[in-house]
Amino acid sequence: MTTTTLATPAAPRRRPAALVPVGMLVLVLLPLLLLPLAAVFVFAFRGGLTAFLSALNTQDARFALRFSLLIAFATAIVNAVLGTFAAYVLSKYRFPGERPLGIVVNLPVAIPTVVVGTSLLLLWGPIGLLGRLLEPTGFQPMFTPFGVLLAHLFVTFPYMLGTIKPLLDELETTYEEAAYTIGANRWQTFRHILLPALRGGLFTGALLTFAHSLGEFGATVLVSGNLRLRTQTAPLYIFAQFEAGNLAAANAVAAVLALLSFVIFFFLLRYTGRRTEGRL
Amino acid sequence: MSIVLDRLTKRFGAQTIVDRVSLEVADGEFFVLLGASGSGKSTILRLIAGLTQPDAGRILLQGRDVTHLPPQQRDTGFVFQNYSIFRHMSVADNIEFGLRIRRVPPAERARRREELLDLVDLAGLGARYADQLSGGQRQRVALARALAYEPNVLLLDEPFGALDVKIRAQLRRSLKAIHDRLGVTTILVTHDQEEAFELADRIGVIERGHLLEVGAPEELYTRPRSLFVATFLGAGTVFVGRARGGQAHFGLLALPIPAETPHEDDERVQVLLRPEEVTLTPDRPADDRLVLGQGRVVEQNFTGPLRRLRLRLPQLAATRQLAPPPPFGEEGLLVDAVLPADLPLPSEDLWVGLRRWHILAPPHPRVLVYDTEAGPLTALALARALADRLDASVTLVGVAESADGGEALRAALQRRQEEAGLAQAELRIAFGNVMQQLALEQGQALYDFCLLPASDHPATQPVRLSDTVVNLLSRTMTPTLVVKDKDYPLERILICTAAGEPGKSDVRIGGRLARQVGAAVTLFHVTRGASQPTPLARSHLERAAATLRALNVPTEVRFRPAQTPAAGILAEAREGGYGLVVVGSHGPHSRSVFGLDDVTRQVLSGTDRPVLVVPADEG
Repeated sequence: MTTTTLATPAAPRRRPAALVPVGMLVLVLLPLLLLPLAAVFVFAFRGGLTAFLSALNTQDARFALRFSLLIAFATAIVNAVLGTFAAYVLSKYRFPGERPLGIVVNLPVAIPTVVVGTSLLLLWGPIGLLGRLLEPTGFQPMFTPFGVLLAHLFVTFPYMLGTIKPLLDELETTYEEAAYTIGANRWQTFRHILLPALRGGLFTGALLTFAHSLGEFGATVLVSGNLRLRTQTAPLYIFAQFEAGNLAAANAVAAVLALLSFVIFFFLLRYTGRRTEGRL
Repeated sequence: MSIVLDRLTKRFGAQTIVDRVSLEVADGEFFVLLGASGSGKSTILRLIAGLTQPDAGRILLQGRDVTHLPPQQRDTGFVFQNYSIFRHMSVADNIEFGLRIRRVPPAERARRREELLDLVDLAGLGARYADQLSGGQRQRVALARALAYEPNVLLLDEPFGALDVKIRAQLRRSLKAIHDRLGVTTILVTHDQEEAFELADRIGVIERGHLLEVGAPEELYTRPRSLFVATFLGAGTVFVGRARGGQAHFGLLALPIPAETPHEDDERVQVLLRPEEVTLTPDRPADDRLVLGQGRVVEQNFTGPLRRLRLRLPQLAATRQLAPPPPFGEEGLLVDAVLPADLPLPSEDLWVGLRRWHILAPPHPRVLVYDTEAGPLTALALARALADRLDASVTLVGVAESADGGEALRAALQRRQEEAGLAQAELRIAFGNVMQQLALEQGQALYDFCLLPASDHPATQPVRLSDTVVNLLSRTMTPTLVVKDKDYPLERILICTAAGEPGKSDVRIGGRLARQVGAAVTLFHVTRGASQPTPLARSHLERAAATLRALNVPTEVRFRPAQTPAAGILAEAREGGYGLVVVGSHGPHSRSVFGLDDVTRQVLSGTDRPVLVVPADEG
């Protein structure tokens, strides 16, 4: 009988039979994932570094990148607080309607982002359900940076919740109870006992939220109105430049976005990798 | 008193987890709550700490009513079984946490921390984190953390449960030493009898939410009152016999019943024989008053200093074994004994005598309930009332025709059982003929009452008595409650009696029940046509009333003229607002060819109230 055990650290010998499936996998992935990623950089740097930099150095491109980073940052911070709060309530309290609420807060991952944009418009837009009521005050959230933030909060809400809630669920209840009997009130317990235990999750969740916000397109394109120098995020800028046939400008910003994503992904990978290692 | 619990009660759904627990723990006492898992002992600890809210009752700590205070304001130190050391804090920070919350200045904190590290033998390990400590060390940190702010009481929830035997013994000694030094009032919860004996000033034994007995370890071991405590604390043999004339009878052996555990005549009586109280001799002792009989060694175990023996003796008349559990399908009585291990066994056959014995308090009544999927829930409700008020243990029996239907029946009965709040009752599913199975069940255990619905189809045929009822009543020797589909409060009990009935057991059993449930009794007699009873009936009623008064039951005597006894009883039952009608029945040998005598049967069919049918004494 031939050995069919998987390669373990103790036996790092590569089996020759693995060449065929691995080769096939690479062949499939090449056109699917690897080549498109490479294409972005190839096209961005086709005209050399100076062309790339000058493509980035337009007012519109600089604004779009800055705006995207700002929105992603704001989204990550707001959702870190909201998501942690939601996770705490859903994990620690038992109440009627707990299950439906748990499903609703996770719904944004399943809804197409375009639908999110549409529904936000229908609610907050100039003729929307609540937007109409705001008319006299002169405040209109849609087609403003605030509207973009609203859309991003909606779309990325589940990420923070999804990383924090399992951590809270996993933490034995006696952990908090110990703090209570020692004399710590709910806030002190949260601040000194729970929050430190959630540190890793907060970091991971915030990075995930940031990354998703950075790339958000479907909802943003509807609620922002795609107004240059006002509500145009980096993905919207790329799309607009493409449509206008301005490939160099589009590619340059796309390359920057891709690079940012790589950096975030690298941090996520390192962090979660270290955590699972620590646990094993 | 450091800790006072006053009728503390906690329910989860229909289950009562902690049932009216009252307890006082003195200043500086080390109290151990001992019970099996699921007995509610940990819940009591959580109630004291304020981690769980009680449904009823009060908790006083140092004279202060803390029942409705949050855990933060109770000033208790709590040690959890899983340690719950704060993982992101060093040992020192863990210990100092309570002091930091209380804004103790850093210098004082450091001084206290070093003191505690010293106290729990962890000096020098303050900088470590939980994952750098062994289980025993973690538990020491948890203990130091709970003691840091000098709490009023220390609560320990199975603190050594997750540790191996050697570490456990070490920690026990440390804990005892720390307690001796600090004198902090302590309650420890455990399922380990040995641990309880070693640590406790007093032990409280908990079973199914009830605090059964409280006492010093030695007192509970040598003089337990209940079967549960007797068998939970150490090995021993328990037999059930009958009480008569102030003596407990087991076959020919008669043991005097001490005054502190009075038994009524004919009541079941349980005797406990600790292994070290059993004597073994090769020859029949000259004084054979305290001899159980000659037995054969069936099992022996070497345990170091002692040899544990189990002997089988021939069955004694009217004696049943409770502990050690009798093996299925084997006859005879098992007795546990010990001998010094270095003493050779003279023979396999030895005479078993008693050096000492211990009569337990009268056991709780046992109620057998026959339940069907379609039966009225009122039978279960009455069983629940008996379980609550008599502290009776209830066994539910369902009978399936074949093994196929068994699981479905079990599920259905389990649902009904939970609905009726009888989740703690034992449920047995038997197969085959209902009558045979009920007779078998009655024969295997001594029940005080049998309870069953009057009709198999209460919705369509409320009046028609089921064959089960008719058959069972014509044979059984157990007082039997027949229940219709209406609920009545058990406040007034109608005992029907007639002169010349063969026995008075209906009055005695009905009266005892009335006393136990706190009901008033109306003693009732039907005069045929005439307005006054005959002199014979009158003297019979007077004696019956005297019996009831002796039981301290509020009693009233009533006559009623009627065409037939049954008509009179039915009219009185209807008009008097009784919750239970007690009628006598002849013994099986003198019962008529129809099985049940007419009056009983007519009353059973005619009334909508529960009827207790009491078979007359034989002879």
